[in-house]
Amino acid sequence: MSFKKILILVAPLLLLSFVTPQEVFSQESANCLICHSAMKGRLKTAAGVLIELNVDTDRFQASVHGFLSCTDCHLRFSDNPHSSPDARVPSELLAIASEISSKYPVDPVAAAACNTCHEVIYRKVLDSVHGRNITVKNQTDGALCLDCHGSPHYITPVKAVNSPVGRQLQAETCGRCHGDKELDEKYNLEENVMESYEESFHARKLHLGHTGVPLCSSCHNAHDIKSKDDPDSPVFGKNRLETCGKCHEGANEKFIPAITHKPAGPIPYYTEKLLIVLTMGVFAFIVLHVIAEALSDIRDAIFRKKEGSE
Amino acid sequence: MSRQIPPDIERFNVIFRIQHVLMFTTFLLLSFTGWGLKFAYEPEGLSSIWIRIWGGAETAGLIHRIAGITMLLDFIWHVLYLAYLFARKRMTIDLKTTIIPLPKDVFDLIKNFMYFMGLSKEKPRFGKYSYAQKFDYWAVFWGMIIIGTSGFALAFPMLVSYVIPEFTTAWIWQLLAIMHSDEALLAIVFILFWHFYNEHLKPEVFPMNWIWLTGRISTEKLKHHHPIEYEMLFPDDAPESKKPADKKDR
Repeated sequence: MSFKKILILVAPLLLLSFVTPQEVFSQESANCLICHSAMKGRLKTAAGVLIELNVDTDRFQASVHGFLSCTDCHLRFSDNPHSSPDARVPSELLAIASEISSKYPVDPVAAAACNTCHEVIYRKVLDSVHGRNITVKNQTDGALCLDCHGSPHYITPVKAVNSPVGRQLQAETCGRCHGDKELDEKYNLEENVMESYEESFHARKLHLGHTGVPLCSSCHNAHDIKSKDDPDSPVFGKNRLETCGKCHEGANEKFIPAITHKPAGPIPYYTEKLLIVLTMGVFAFIVLHVIAEALSDIRDAIFRKKEGSE
Repeated sequence: MSRQIPPDIERFNVIFRIQHVLMFTTFLLLSFTGWGLKFAYEPEGLSSIWIRIWGGAETAGLIHRIAGITMLLDFIWHVLYLAYLFARKRMTIDLKTTIIPLPKDVFDLIKNFMYFMGLSKEKPRFGKYSYAQKFDYWAVFWGMIIIGTSGFALAFPMLVSYVIPEFTTAWIWQLLAIMHSDEALLAIVFILFWHFYNEHLKPEVFPMNWIWLTGRISTEKLKHHHPIEYEMLFPDDAPESKKPADKKDR
């Protein structure tokens, strides 16, 4: 058989490889997914924690992590099916795992495994006000990777419309905690942050599809987020000159109070009330006047035809 | 020796007409683009669709700024032109023709309402400008002062931040936003109901009062709607009991 004939036979098959779905994950992942793609619902562990067992194969494959093997993160489950929970785990992951064990009592190693690839960012998060709430204060509700980015199985690029940290949904994601009454009270968080953002020109323009307006992370930073009372925070005192200055060149101290999460003071508050009264008053007057005039015109047209001139 | 009464007279010269056209075109552009921003409460809402018609958020913002500056310049032109007319003595303040609000306007309003309700058979007699027209005119001044200044400050915050005093910074930005947005809504409501009814929908002017193009009013209409001005211009044609000398109408 000549080379040309082989090519004619093989070429369509090559084409087929493009049109049929490819199994990008490893054979090992395929083994895990045989069960976990079919399993539905959650399982209660001995510690009383509910864990999700289902992995949607299609969404996992489409995610940015679709190329990883299950055991790249689920390091303790190297055997099939998970019989060796004490498998070898790198020491730095074990260190992180012990730091975050208050939040992830079931499998802190898997939650620490993000560090394997995202080491610099993970360090920033652990040192941030969110991370320290877990590592230092041992709380269970401080934000870590998954709280903002969603399930690690389905992470989409930040530019994607459905990314929980992207332009469309970021405010909503932050607002899940920073707008929650219980958490506001527990951590003495600034109240009214979501309302004031939604009211601001920034959020309104964002809703209209403006591509230059800031999101939460534009001013507060993302992974290395600090308390607003921390002198290193980009929204602390004079740091705002630089933060606002990123977009508003030449931002000065009289300009930076323009955007705040504080509720309106008495002057704007009562001015607004006054203006509402004024608007309603004028509206009532002109509507009354217009209706009265129109009715009298109709009356004149029907009953007083002759008296029209003067 | 009765003078010939012309069929119509000029009410607004070409400069006033141009100022009016500039005012309403910029007003419409500002209303359309500003409305979208004011009610942008959610992504992909009605406001987003509306603003997309205007070329997206960036383009709509640019239209709004250009129209706003044009309107402010138009207003300044109008005020300077009035000052020029006064300086040249081409315009003087006469209580019967002035657009300045007077106590007479309040009595006219009461009289008019009594006429509307059938309590009086007589309509109030207006000078060059009825109270409704004075209201229409001065509403623009109110709007220019409140919406115009706040709009300028919001469009050029960095420039304005050098001017505002230190003690105001805690509340002035919020105040400016509230002033701009709330009074803009008032202006739109006002134009939509007051100006549109009086100059467009009223049966006698429908579909519009053509004076904005011609600048001229027929003497017949003048006599009917602005009798005091008519009698001033054509004293010989005034009825005996209502000569301008008569002080009955204040």
